Amino acid sequence: MKNFIITTIISLFSLVSGANAADLEKVLIQNATVITASDSQVLKNTDVLIEDGFIVAIGGNLVANDAIQIDASNQIITPGLIAPHSQIGLMEIQLERETRDDSTKYFSAGFSIVNAFNPSSTLIPYNRSGGITSAIVIPSAAKANYSGLASVFKMDGELDSDVILKDIAMAISFGAGSDSRASQILLLEDAFNKALRFNDSREQYKQLADFDYDDHTIRDLEAILRVLNKEIPLIVRSNRAKDLLRMISIAKQYGVKIIFHGAKEAWRIADILAEEDIPVILDPMDNIPGSFDSIAARMDNAYLLNKAGVKILITSQDTHNSYLSRQGAGNAVAHGLPENEAIKALTANIAEVFGLSDLGTIDVGKTADLVIWDGNPLEVSSFATTVFIDGKQISLVSRSTRLRDRYLRKLGLE
Amino acid sequence: MSLFLLHICSTSKKLYLLVVYKEPTIVERIRSEKMKIINKFPLLLIVSFLCILVINCTNKDPEHEPQNQAYRSTYQPKPSEAILIRNARVLTGLGTELEDTSILIDNNTIAAIGEIPLDAGTKVIDAKGKWITPGIIDIHSHMGVYPAPGLRSNSDGNEATSPVTPHVWAEHSVWTHDPQFTLALKGGITTFHVLPGSANLIGGRGVTLKNIRSVTVQGMKFPDAPYTLKMACGENPKRVYGNRNQEPSTQMANVAGYRQAWIDAQNYMKKAEKSRDDLKRDLAMETLSGVLRGEILIQNHCYRGEEMAVMLDIAKEFDYKVTAFHHAIEAYKVADILAEQGVCAAMWADWWGFKHEAFDMVWSNVAMVDQAENKTGCAIVHSDSAVGTQHLNQEAAKARAAGIRAGMNISRGRAIQWITLNPAKALGISERVGSLEVGKMADLVIWDGDPFSVFSKAEKVFIDGHLKFDAESDNAFERTDFDLGIIEPEESRL
Repeated sequence: MKNFIITTIISLFSLVSGANAADLEKVLIQNATVITASDSQVLKNTDVLIEDGFIVAIGGNLVANDAIQIDASNQIITPGLIAPHSQIGLMEIQLERETRDDSTKYFSAGFSIVNAFNPSSTLIPYNRSGGITSAIVIPSAAKANYSGLASVFKMDGELDSDVILKDIAMAISFGAGSDSRASQILLLEDAFNKALRFNDSREQYKQLADFDYDDHTIRDLEAILRVLNKEIPLIVRSNRAKDLLRMISIAKQYGVKIIFHGAKEAWRIADILAEEDIPVILDPMDNIPGSFDSIAARMDNAYLLNKAGVKILITSQDTHNSYLSRQGAGNAVAHGLPENEAIKALTANIAEVFGLSDLGTIDVGKTADLVIWDGNPLEVSSFATTVFIDGKQISLVSRSTRLRDRYLRKLGLE
Repeated sequence: MSLFLLHICSTSKKLYLLVVYKEPTIVERIRSEKMKIINKFPLLLIVSFLCILVINCTNKDPEHEPQNQAYRSTYQPKPSEAILIRNARVLTGLGTELEDTSILIDNNTIAAIGEIPLDAGTKVIDAKGKWITPGIIDIHSHMGVYPAPGLRSNSDGNEATSPVTPHVWAEHSVWTHDPQFTLALKGGITTFHVLPGSANLIGGRGVTLKNIRSVTVQGMKFPDAPYTLKMACGENPKRVYGNRNQEPSTQMANVAGYRQAWIDAQNYMKKAEKSRDDLKRDLAMETLSGVLRGEILIQNHCYRGEEMAVMLDIAKEFDYKVTAFHHAIEAYKVADILAEQGVCAAMWADWWGFKHEAFDMVWSNVAMVDQAENKTGCAIVHSDSAVGTQHLNQEAAKARAAGIRAGMNISRGRAIQWITLNPAKALGISERVGSLEVGKMADLVIWDGDPFSVFSKAEKVFIDGHLKFDAESDNAFERTDFDLGIIEPEESRL
């Protein structure tokens, strides 16, 4: 592994000095264009010093003779990208049920996927080679309208690395389905009320005749209480503008913090979303009026939301290609979104909304999750050349690059 | 009567010639058809029918397919005005990239390309700083047969009731008001190929459409484009039927299924040779025998390297040609075989992981197919997606960048062929579209920047010389019926 890292550094960068193969904890990246995704925005010709997993200095002409030196002239550094809504680590092959751990038939609101995450999934090295360094992992489906609880994982792929934040949001969906959306709202209100009654008299409640074990076990009610206590936000997957408005009013009634996901018609209520400070997770390229819930879908949803002051989080809808959030962000820029806002929608905004206070920007003191790019990170033809997670340079080899190299040789195309 | 006919149909000189050169047997056929129609329909209808019938004179082999007097394309663009597009950077579709180039389009075709003197009477578009490519062609689309919004009532792409359905035609499922058509137009798609889905071993005929608005599918059909036949390897057919405990439930039964179908077709053709008069028409066999006669092009959904090699052996056994493998995730594993046998592979840039057969994706798949056997491969980038088709240039850009990163030298001029000339070849329409050459249909896109950049957008899209999308106009394109009043009664969608 370490041999590989050294080889990669030598092959990719012209200047390598002071390298100690046994100690890669201290790295000085020099002469880069740094897109900080924070207030300082873009810094030209700048050095970044990484030590013990953290960013310890940013500036011009930094000196650290004992550090690995990486010349990143003509290259761009961004914070590591965060996948804001994926099932990375829970799924290997979509159509093969036994390779999936992203759904349950036993739990609803309280379905936590922490114990299912597979750090050896092929999706991890692949997506980090596309610049993803951490992911908000959210189950796909639980009972009723619930998906379950989201947790955050790093893409280091180490067997001994653990969840970095556990059960940090609850996800539900709302809209066209097998039952009326009116009924879906009634069920949600009932669930909230039930959780509140449960909270008032936990011991007695278990004896009550109307306790509904079908959709809400105690574990589920405890999770709902965390939402009602504003400990964690509720991610609502919904598209129709009027549905979004209804969820806003329920959230207000119960004092719940919400995040919208999908939200293809969100642009129609952009001002309200901004006023209520409700973030939106979206795929800017999804402009298909795929159902009567998303008739008003359009390509500039991200641009219009950002312009109105809504915090946007850009996602790919394809877990296997979570890194393609980058292409979505590029398309949003093509349709008006400022570039710096697009970068923030892939990094800082996600960290902020999900409380990952040490991630998402390049600032002194932050965790060194960084990506060096050979071109504009929003451009489809740019590649990550170096990825750091917790200050360690991570392999960009994946099963896919191994296959590529084998057949390049066989075809004589090396 | 015949004068009136020529007047109505006079928009095309070609058509006039067809009237002159029609074969006697066809004339007789038309005459007898005409008599039947006259007895039944009022004059205007008769005339429009006659127009269709006259176009039918181009039938390659009418003897074999009596039904092909009907269902033909009725698309006839009005003559377009002369427009000179100047100072553009042009990706010709022939592999070249030209700087400061002008293109003159006139009367539906490309009239000149290169340095063209200004003519006071000609409308001019200054394309300084812009790029021009041929109209983008998506060889794998289900628009119209799986339209948006997706409803049970319009989910018409898979006749998943029997694994071998060569008798069905995708065009008969097309909903012509699918709003996805105009979204694709905004992405530069001027021609697309609509296929039945992949539930079946043999799924039915595909149809090549021009991206123009027409109530009738006949009015969208690419004139005289050959029919295609959709076949599907692998997981989908055996899953669909295996789940019902029907054959096929395994790969080996898939292969037996294809072979049996071709045996049936051979038997039908033998019978036809012996006694054409007594032959009972059979829609399935008419399609399959069309393939064996080389008139219908095989478009074969097939992911795996070993499956493609088996499909090529089946083609050898029954003496037909596979024109293109679609979704060919593992084409790079057999890129040498594909290049040697002249078979195209249509691929995504990076889709993977949704099925086991889609597990071995590499980003440089397209480039490896393209560069195989001394750059003789036929690589195509396709979408199979109403989102992807709007950004097919970006898919090609990703595939090209991956090829360059893997050490292959691939120019923009070469890579644009993956979404223009190569799909045109695989659809049998490359004599008329796919590259910017004098005499070809004036289907082209003016991009506001490098079409291999995520930041560039199609600014103007011409089809047969007519401006069908103009980003700079308030009335940028013709809405589909669906788009009218669907969000707010007095507004149009988008």
